[in-house]
Amino acid sequence: MKRRKGSSDSLLTKAGGELDDRFKLAGPARVLFNKVFPDHWSFLLGEIALFSFILLLLSGTFLALFFDPSMVEVTYDGAYVPLQGVDMSRAYESTLHLSFEVRGGLFMRQMHHWAALLFMASILVHMLRIFFTGAFRAPRETNWMIGIVMFWLGFFEGFFGYSLPDDGLSGTGLRIMEGMTASIPFIGPWASAALFGGQFPGTTVIPMLYIIHVFIFPLLLLALITVHVALVFIQKHTQWPGPGRTEHNVVGFRMFPNYVMKQVGFMLFIFGVLAAMAGLFQINPIWLFGPYEVSVVSSASQPDFYVMYLDGLIRLFPSWELRIPPYFTLPPVFWPGIVGMGLSVMLPLLYPALERRFTKDRGHHNLLQRPRDNPGRTSLGMMVVVFWIIGVISGGNDVFAEKFHISLNAMTWAGRIGLVVLPIITYYVTYRICLGLQQHDREVLAHGLETGILMRDPNGRFYEVHQPLAEPDEHGHTELEYNGWVVPKKMNRVGALPPQDKGFFKSIEEPSENGASSHEEIESGKH
Amino acid sequence: MAASAKRRRGWRKRLGALARFTGALVIVGGIYSVFSPSLYAQEAEDNAIDSEVVKGQELYDTSCISCHGDDGEGIEGRGPSLIGVGSAAVEFQVNTGRMPMAAQGAQAPASDYPVFTEEEAEWLGAYIEYLGGGSAVPDDLAALVENSDVAEGGELYRVNCSSCHGYAGGGGALSSGAHAPALTGVSDEEIYQAMLTGPQNMPVFADNELTPEQKADIIAYVQYVVNGDKDPGGVFSLGRYGPSTEGLAIFLVGMTALLLTTLWIAGKS
Amino acid sequence: MSAHNDSARDEVEPVDLSDPKLTRFEVYKEGLRRDDIEIIHYEPRFPKPGTKTEKRMERIVSGLFLLSGLFATLFVVAYIWWPWEYEGAATWQDPQTWYTPVLGFTLGFSLLFFAVGVLTWAKKLLPVEELVQDRHDGGSSTDDRKIAESTVDTIVEDMGLRRRPFLVKTALLAAAPLGLAAVAPLGALIKDPGDMYTVTGWNADKYNDGNPVGIMMKDGALVRPDMVSAGGQITVYPAIDHGATNQFPTAPVLLIHLREEDAEILRGNLYPMYQDVDALWGNFVAYSKICTHVGCPASLYEQQSQRLLCPCHQSQFNVVDNAAPVFGPATRHLPILPITVNDEGFFEAKSDFLVPPGPAFWNRPSLPEEDEK
Repeated sequence: MKRRKGSSDSLLTKAGGELDDRFKLAGPARVLFNKVFPDHWSFLLGEIALFSFILLLLSGTFLALFFDPSMVEVTYDGAYVPLQGVDMSRAYESTLHLSFEVRGGLFMRQMHHWAALLFMASILVHMLRIFFTGAFRAPRETNWMIGIVMFWLGFFEGFFGYSLPDDGLSGTGLRIMEGMTASIPFIGPWASAALFGGQFPGTTVIPMLYIIHVFIFPLLLLALITVHVALVFIQKHTQWPGPGRTEHNVVGFRMFPNYVMKQVGFMLFIFGVLAAMAGLFQINPIWLFGPYEVSVVSSASQPDFYVMYLDGLIRLFPSWELRIPPYFTLPPVFWPGIVGMGLSVMLPLLYPALERRFTKDRGHHNLLQRPRDNPGRTSLGMMVVVFWIIGVISGGNDVFAEKFHISLNAMTWAGRIGLVVLPIITYYVTYRICLGLQQHDREVLAHGLETGILMRDPNGRFYEVHQPLAEPDEHGHTELEYNGWVVPKKMNRVGALPPQDKGFFKSIEEPSENGASSHEEIESGKH
Repeated sequence: MAASAKRRRGWRKRLGALARFTGALVIVGGIYSVFSPSLYAQEAEDNAIDSEVVKGQELYDTSCISCHGDDGEGIEGRGPSLIGVGSAAVEFQVNTGRMPMAAQGAQAPASDYPVFTEEEAEWLGAYIEYLGGGSAVPDDLAALVENSDVAEGGELYRVNCSSCHGYAGGGGALSSGAHAPALTGVSDEEIYQAMLTGPQNMPVFADNELTPEQKADIIAYVQYVVNGDKDPGGVFSLGRYGPSTEGLAIFLVGMTALLLTTLWIAGKS
Repeated sequence: MSAHNDSARDEVEPVDLSDPKLTRFEVYKEGLRRDDIEIIHYEPRFPKPGTKTEKRMERIVSGLFLLSGLFATLFVVAYIWWPWEYEGAATWQDPQTWYTPVLGFTLGFSLLFFAVGVLTWAKKLLPVEELVQDRHDGGSSTDDRKIAESTVDTIVEDMGLRRRPFLVKTALLAAAPLGLAAVAPLGALIKDPGDMYTVTGWNADKYNDGNPVGIMMKDGALVRPDMVSAGGQITVYPAIDHGATNQFPTAPVLLIHLREEDAEILRGNLYPMYQDVDALWGNFVAYSKICTHVGCPASLYEQQSQRLLCPCHQSQFNVVDNAAPVFGPATRHLPILPITVNDEGFFEAKSDFLVPPGPAFWNRPSLPEEDEK
């Protein structure tokens, strides 16, 4: 503690004084600098989404300088030989121009696309963490709902962005969207005509999607992200239960310097991963797809992965069409496409309220739950995860069929049956696993850890020596009560001892120069 | 399908085959030859059955006859008639290792180790051509491809080929276990032969549908895009499968790297 | 550590900030106290400054920063001087194909090195610390609530919301149409779908002055029967202005020349409505290429199994049975375009499709005849 030198140097003091004279910052800044954040790897998942969003804004701005969202028909005469002389829309042409004739344009386009995928992937993973640990419970239901809304904004933001180049693959996606829109009872055909300015594909949809993609949705996302982060800040982050941690405190480190340095480092790391992926992994090679033409399609036509489960459900849904002769038809795509999407929005949105209703738990919860401690919720969540994964796999079932030489029809049937059966099995299995883990925790708390030492009693029976976790009380009992903490399961985890030997290439365990080993320092620091 | 219909079909096939067979032998240089220039070549060979045909027949009788029947008439349920398919079809099937087929299945798989040499394939082709004419690859294919229009080929490829073989030529799944093969590493001749003869489930693109020049355009496009051009967008093309492998990559590469990083950042030091 | 609880903090006495003997750290701790924060554990990472291990860690971090700078420089250099322009088909030996990978590699590693540098600094050089802060969960204090309540009541009273109900009602009454007026301009988007789903480019009256619409290939060439050999298929369009463009999204048709035996089966299966108009010509059949599920081109024609597959959702149609769906989510057959050959020997459409092609839509009429065998 004495390492820090003297007081702040005069220049900083002076600048601070000038600022405070004008903005009265000393008090609020102190509160900000000193705010305590809990530390856990799973609390960093939302940050991945936040920082990919920032990169999306940056790279998207670059792309907007060169992209022209126009469906005017032009003849390509750019650098890419196999498309020279081909008629296409200006949107597609400018995307090709951006990819082949703008210095670093392809790199930026790929970075934008990878960042979009990472944005959606990290939202999903973040959402799973929140769900399985019960972090959405009161008082944080609002933030959960904002998160769900942001997921769906991101979903459409991504889909619209993927549609903008007006290439063969994304046009097929729009075509499917048109089919889904037209299936909505009563308003379907009118909604489709409004969306496409008449008959699909028309000439107005790309400009419309463009303004949504670059202005309306980013603005909404930005606003919601601000509220989302502000609420985390105001309500203070949840924490895992553990020694000294209660519902009424936060245990961790300060915002400055520790938290902010880690955040900055993590942000740069995410940017770095995305930049490396953008350079090394080719994504969405639109020049191979050609301009969108209604009579052209490719095998293995998939949407981006976050839309794929919906596409999978559409593939798996049986050919059930409701006809109300002679005037009305309810096409099969309505159920997975419109109803399925509606449920995917509403169920997660309402889940906190539903859980409150069923558990009648109205209290505030600032300590997280280990997934095993709420087997019902965990199993329900795993059910949804399995359902989603089957949907995603089915969304790419033709690629699977082709790559692994499985019959396409067999893939479809496997998906149909799996979609019904596997979630149920998953529920049961997850529930049993949760109970088993709970039981083991309590066994260890009651009898102690397995030591691996075998003893023989006078009767000749072998038994294993257990190391109790607590000192015996006056009755000689060593049972501990379970209180949501992680229970050590191995001898060297008792007291969360660090690994015995440190260093990656060579041991750095040699005695430090001030005489005390690093272990002792830490031990002595605790009281 | 009713058994009688099946029988009727078989009978019809055999009768048709016979008619075409005699037609090819007797009315040489007739109206038929106007549509099929390759028959001019056969005209000369008809007089003296040359040694290639004989050698081809020997091979046929040992390796093909069990499924395709005597004189290539086909056996219902085992192998189609080969009369009129032409030498291009035979050479395509044999040189790509698809024929002879190891076992009946949804589709004959290609093999890197064809049973016959290219020379033997030519003999077989000559024999089948002798049986019923058919189409052949033009001799000046290389020149055609040389003078072709890649962009034109691209347009034709997208209208006619990409629906099964994919925009990037990666192949694709068809119904009930059949699939359209990937176009990576195929030769000009193989593409031409496949278009010309429509092997297995592939539709025929004879010279009426796509002129030899148009076929050459398509070949040039395929060779440019699938086999010629290195992906400009990176070291890894992710198989050019599009969003499915891209989705996999964001989880397996991006997400995994970042999850490990979170473990490191939040780990006790 | 478990001894710590919320009450522990109360024992910390406030300090007198005017005391000149206070150290910097004591002043700092007073700030923590005011924010309800207590230090559980706080000590420098390296108790003795300037040890070998500390120096080593510093060297590592600065090394990472320098590497980052080096890679950033490489990025800028590559961005400017590496050949980048696309020059036609290229192999991995051509430098311009490496432009994007080089950019990604240099920028990526520059960012990663800087990130690892910052993170190492935070993890290995910052003091080891653990603090506990009061959460103050739940609502405001009773006093605050009471004051807020009174404030709101005063506002309501001042405006007279309770005393002047008529004002409130008229305001609400006016607000409803005003809200409507705000969204009304969106009505500019509304268009009557009209006949866009039911009339295609094959409609002679609408697009060809009542003359039968010819059949052309994409390049505009009119189609003759000899242009499609048995077992072959081509994609054809109405021979009208822009007939092959996206202006006619439901017009593309797959013209298939069936083998004799397959055509025979199809003729046996043909729906009455197609028999009535004699929809086939010889062994030629023209199916709408637009899938009846959601509209992708169902164009994977398997000439042996006689199936048409749609690559988007794997609907499969039986070519020798009116292209009726046999697998997947599609519910309707692909409509047949009735065709014939005119005096000049070219194909032409006898009429538009008998049933609307393309995906179903809500007000699609369900005609009984299309289900008849």
